[in-house]
Amino acid sequence: MGAANLDDNRSPPFRVVIVGGGTAGWMSAAGIRRQLGPEDYSVTLIESDEIGIVGVGEATLPHIKTFNDMLGLDEAQFMRETRATFKLGIQFRDWDQPGDCYIHPFGAFGEPWGGVEFQHHWLRGQQAGGQRFPIQDFSYSVVAARSNAFEFPNEDNKSIRSTYSYAYHFDASLYAAYLRSWAMQRGVRRIEGQVCDVSRHPTTGDLEELTLKSGERIAGDLFIDCSGFRSLLLGSVMGVAWQDWTHWLPCDRALAVPCKRVGALTPYTRSTARPAGWIWRIPLQHRTGNGYIFSSQFIKDGEARDTLVDGLDGAVQGEPRLLRFSPGRRQRAWSGNCVAIGLASGFLEPLESTSIYLIQTAVTDLLTLMPRPRSAGIDPRLIDEFNRLNEMQYERIRDFLVLHYTANRRVGEPLWDHVRSMPLPDSLVHKMQLFRSRAALPNHQYGLFSRDSWLSVLVGQGIVPTGYDRLADAFPLSALPERLSEFRNRIQTNVDAMSSHEAFIANYAQAMEITNSEEAVA
Amino acid sequence: MSTAQALSKVVVMGRDVDLWLCVNAISRALGPASVKVIAIELPTRLRSSDINSTLPPLEAFHSKLGIKEPSLIRATAGSFSFGHNFVAGSGQGPTHTFFHAWGAYGAPIDGSAFFPCWLKATRYGLKVSYQDFCLTAVAARNGRMLLPDEATSAFGRTDYGYHVQTLAYAGYLKSIAANFGVKIYEAQRAFVERDETGSIAALIIDGSLRIDGQLFVDATGPDASLIGRSLDVPSDNWRRYFSVDRVLSARAPAFTKTPPFAEIRISGAGWTALHPNQAATGVLHAHSSEFSSDEAALESSSAAAGANLADVSFHAVNTCVRSRMWEGNCVAVGASACVLDPIHDVDIHALQLGIVHLLSLFPVTAQFAVERAEYNRIMRSHYERIRDFQCALYALAPFEGEFWQRARGQSVPPALSHKIATFRARGQIAPMEDETFLQDSWQAIFIGLGVAPESWPPAIDRIPPNRFREEFHRTIEFIRGKVLGQPTHDGYLDSIGRSSAA
Repeated sequence: MGAANLDDNRSPPFRVVIVGGGTAGWMSAAGIRRQLGPEDYSVTLIESDEIGIVGVGEATLPHIKTFNDMLGLDEAQFMRETRATFKLGIQFRDWDQPGDCYIHPFGAFGEPWGGVEFQHHWLRGQQAGGQRFPIQDFSYSVVAARSNAFEFPNEDNKSIRSTYSYAYHFDASLYAAYLRSWAMQRGVRRIEGQVCDVSRHPTTGDLEELTLKSGERIAGDLFIDCSGFRSLLLGSVMGVAWQDWTHWLPCDRALAVPCKRVGALTPYTRSTARPAGWIWRIPLQHRTGNGYIFSSQFIKDGEARDTLVDGLDGAVQGEPRLLRFSPGRRQRAWSGNCVAIGLASGFLEPLESTSIYLIQTAVTDLLTLMPRPRSAGIDPRLIDEFNRLNEMQYERIRDFLVLHYTANRRVGEPLWDHVRSMPLPDSLVHKMQLFRSRAALPNHQYGLFSRDSWLSVLVGQGIVPTGYDRLADAFPLSALPERLSEFRNRIQTNVDAMSSHEAFIANYAQAMEITNSEEAVA
Repeated sequence: MSTAQALSKVVVMGRDVDLWLCVNAISRALGPASVKVIAIELPTRLRSSDINSTLPPLEAFHSKLGIKEPSLIRATAGSFSFGHNFVAGSGQGPTHTFFHAWGAYGAPIDGSAFFPCWLKATRYGLKVSYQDFCLTAVAARNGRMLLPDEATSAFGRTDYGYHVQTLAYAGYLKSIAANFGVKIYEAQRAFVERDETGSIAALIIDGSLRIDGQLFVDATGPDASLIGRSLDVPSDNWRRYFSVDRVLSARAPAFTKTPPFAEIRISGAGWTALHPNQAATGVLHAHSSEFSSDEAALESSSAAAGANLADVSFHAVNTCVRSRMWEGNCVAVGASACVLDPIHDVDIHALQLGIVHLLSLFPVTAQFAVERAEYNRIMRSHYERIRDFQCALYALAPFEGEFWQRARGQSVPPALSHKIATFRARGQIAPMEDETFLQDSWQAIFIGLGVAPESWPPAIDRIPPNRFREEFHRTIEFIRGKVLGQPTHDGYLDSIGRSSAA
C-alpha cells in the first residue's frame, strides 16, 4: 500500500457544525479536532456571548482526566486556568436521615480475599459482634477526604495508596474558555452569533443550513446540538420526543450562587439534603460554588433562595440565579444528521457529577461512529449504535441517582416521603433487593457506576444487608477482627503522612491571582 | 425448615461432567462454610469417542478446584487447544479457511486498536490475513505451544483450552470429589418427593433410599429430570435460529503429530469437528435430518475425517433454553438449563457459567427468591450471548449446500442483527453485557466468514501509512521469532508426561 493512494485529498472536508459554546460545545470541538484530520473534517462552532452558560462550578468524575490526557493538556496548567481543586469523592450529609454523613469516594473499600469481595468479610465481622468499624473507615479515599488531604495515587498497585483515583472541581465556564482557545489554535472556526433560522432537506428532513441573526448562513454535513436545555436543533427543529423522568426525580429547579472561600480546602464535593431537595457545595481555588436543587412542588423559589443563602459558609457573591429543568432525556440523541451532546440530549441533576461524563462518553462514541468524509449521507446503523450506548449510559446513572432519594429515613418531610414510596424502575428494585438480601452489587461492564460506588451509597443510605456471601465463611472468624483492623490502621497511617489538599494545590497548580490575594484564609 | 436457618444441605443429581464439575465446585467453595453436598450419580450418557474442546476460562476454574494441569492432561489423554480452524472443503469456496484463536490478535498501533488499522490497510492492498497477526494462531498452525513470557504478555492474551477425553475427564472429576469426601450415591433412577409448597423435599433413589435436602441441583443434561420432567418448567425452543438437529459422534485414529487446535471441516450437508488429543481424534458431525440421513452423515464425516470411524453413534439436538433455570428450590446447570448448538463446543463453558453464578448467588438462608430471580436473569443473558455468537456463524456462512442455505435463512436474534449491522457499517463490535466471547473472537468470526466492514473509525486516518507498514512488519517478525522459540505441542506433552491411555 502506498501513501499516495490512501486518501483522496482533493474533495472538500466533511463539515461539522456545532451550535452552542459551553462545556459540551467546546469538548466536542476539541475532541474532534484532536482525533480527526483537518483535511477530512472541518469544525465550526457557533456561540453567542448573549446566551449564558449554565456552568457555575462543576464537579467531575475521574474519567475527565482521560479526556484531558487525550487532548494532551498539561494538568497543572489546566488546573490553574480553571481554578481547579482536586476531588476524592462526594460527601452526602443528612441524606439517609438528619445528622447522618457519608462519602462516596472514587476508590475501593478494603480488599477482596479468598475470592470474596470485601463487603462480605466486613458484614460477617459486623454480624459477629465485637468491634464494629463503619465501612467508610476502609476506604483510603474516604479517610483522606475527611482529613482534607491530597496526593496523587501511587502507581504501584500493591500499595494501599493506589486504591483510589481523583477528579476535579473547576469553573466550567473557564474550562470551556480554556478548551476554546485550545481548539481555536488548532483550526476550529468560531462564529459569534445566534441561530435564527434552520433549513432542512425537503425529503430527508436532514439539516442543511443555519441562518444567523447577522444574516450569515452556515451549511454543514453533521450538526452537533450543544445548545443546552433549549435543544434548539434536536428538540425544536428535529422534533425528537422528550422522555420525562420527573416521576423518579422530582427536582426541577436550581438556584446557584458563589460565595467567598472560607475554611480548609476540602477535596470533595458536599451534598446536603434539605426538606425540598439538596444543596451542593463545590470548592474552587478562588471561591465556593453553591446551589440548591429543589422540587417546585414542595417549595417556593423565594424560600429556597433564603435556605440557600442562609446556609452559605462564606459571604455571598451576588444574587442566586434560577434555572428550570426537567429530568429525562430525548428519545434519540442522534436523529438524521443532528446529534445532541450535553443538556440538549437530556438532563440528570448533578447529584453524582455526571454531566461532563455524559458529554465525554457522547464525544468518544461520536468519534468512533463519526460518518466518514465523502460518504453519501449518514449511515443509520451508526446512529442506532450511538443511541443504544447513550440510552444505556443515561439509564444506569438514573437508577443510581434515584437510589439516593428513595432509600431515606427522613420521615415527615413531603418530598422525602414521596420519593421513599414512589414506584421505582424495575432495574433499581432488583439491585436494591440483591444488596439487601446478600450484599451483592451490580455487575456491569459498561457505563457507570462501579461496584464500590454502589456499595458506598447503598450502605450510606442505610440499607443493611441481612446476609453475605457464604464463601466468606471459609475464612477463620477468629482471624477476622485483626485482619480488618490491620487494614484500617494501614489506611490511617498512610493518610497521616499525606500533605493537605490546600498545600498540595499551592505547590502544584495555584492560579496566580489567588496566590497574591488574601482569599486563602484558613 | 425455618426460613432463617442457614442453607446447609445441597443435593446434586446428574451425570458426567455436569454432575462432577458442579459437585466439586460447591463442595470446594462452600465446604468450609459448612455446606454439605450429596451427589446422586445417574448412568453415564458419554461415549468413549467423546472428546471436548474446552474454552480458556476452564483453566482458572480448575485451579480454584485445586486441579493441576499436568495431572489433568495425563488423566484425560489431553492436549492443548489454541482455537478452532475452520476449513471449507472442496466445492465450498477456496477463501473460507480461517482460524478462530483464543489468543489476542495484533497489538495497538499508536494507541489505536489493531483491528481497524488492519481493516484499513487491507482496503489499501495489504495481503496478510487477520489470523497471521495472532501469536497463538500462528504457533498452533505450526504445531507449537505458546508459553507466555514478558514480551508475549505485553503483546496480548495467549489463552488456550484443552482437548479432553470426556469420559476420562468425568471420571477424573469424580475421583477428586470422592477424595474430597463427598457422599456419592449411584442410582438408576430417582423419584421426586414434593412438599406442600411444591418445592422438592427429597429424592427417592432406586425406589428405596430417601435423600432430603434444602437445595437441589439438576445436572442431568438434556433430560432435565428435575427441572423439566418433574417441575414442568417449560423450555423456549431455539430451533428457529439453528438448522442443526442431529449429530454423529465417533472416533478416528490419533494424528501422528497432535495438532494443538480443533478443526471444523465444512461440507455441503453440515460440518465435522475434529478434536485431536493424545490417544484419538474425536469426531463430531452436525447436520440437519431434513437434508441428510444418518448413513449420509456417516459417509460425509468419514470423508471429512479422512479415516474410518469407530464407536459411531447419533443423537438429536434440540436447542432450547429453560424459561427459568432456577425454580422453587431446584437449580438447573449445564444442558438441563440450556441446550446449545454444538458449534464452538461451548457446553462445558455454559456449565461453568451456571456453576459460577450459583456460587456467587448461593442462598444465605432458605429465603432466596431474590437470588433466584437474579440467577434466572443473568443466566438467560449469558446463554443468549453465547447463542448469538453461534448464530453468527450460521447467519453469515458463505458456504454452499442446502444445509447452509437453510442456515442462512433462519431467524437472527435482534441483538445479533444489531451487532452484524454495526460491524458491517463500522467494523466495531457493539459492546454488550454478559458476553462469553471477546471482541477478538467476534472479529475473527466476522472477518473469517468474509463480512467486510464498509468503514473504520476515522481517528486512525491520522496514523501515517508507513507506521502501519512498520508495525505490521514488526509484529510479523515478533510472532515468527516467538513461535520458532516454542516447543512443539508433542514435545511439550512429552515433557509433562504422556497419558498412559495414549
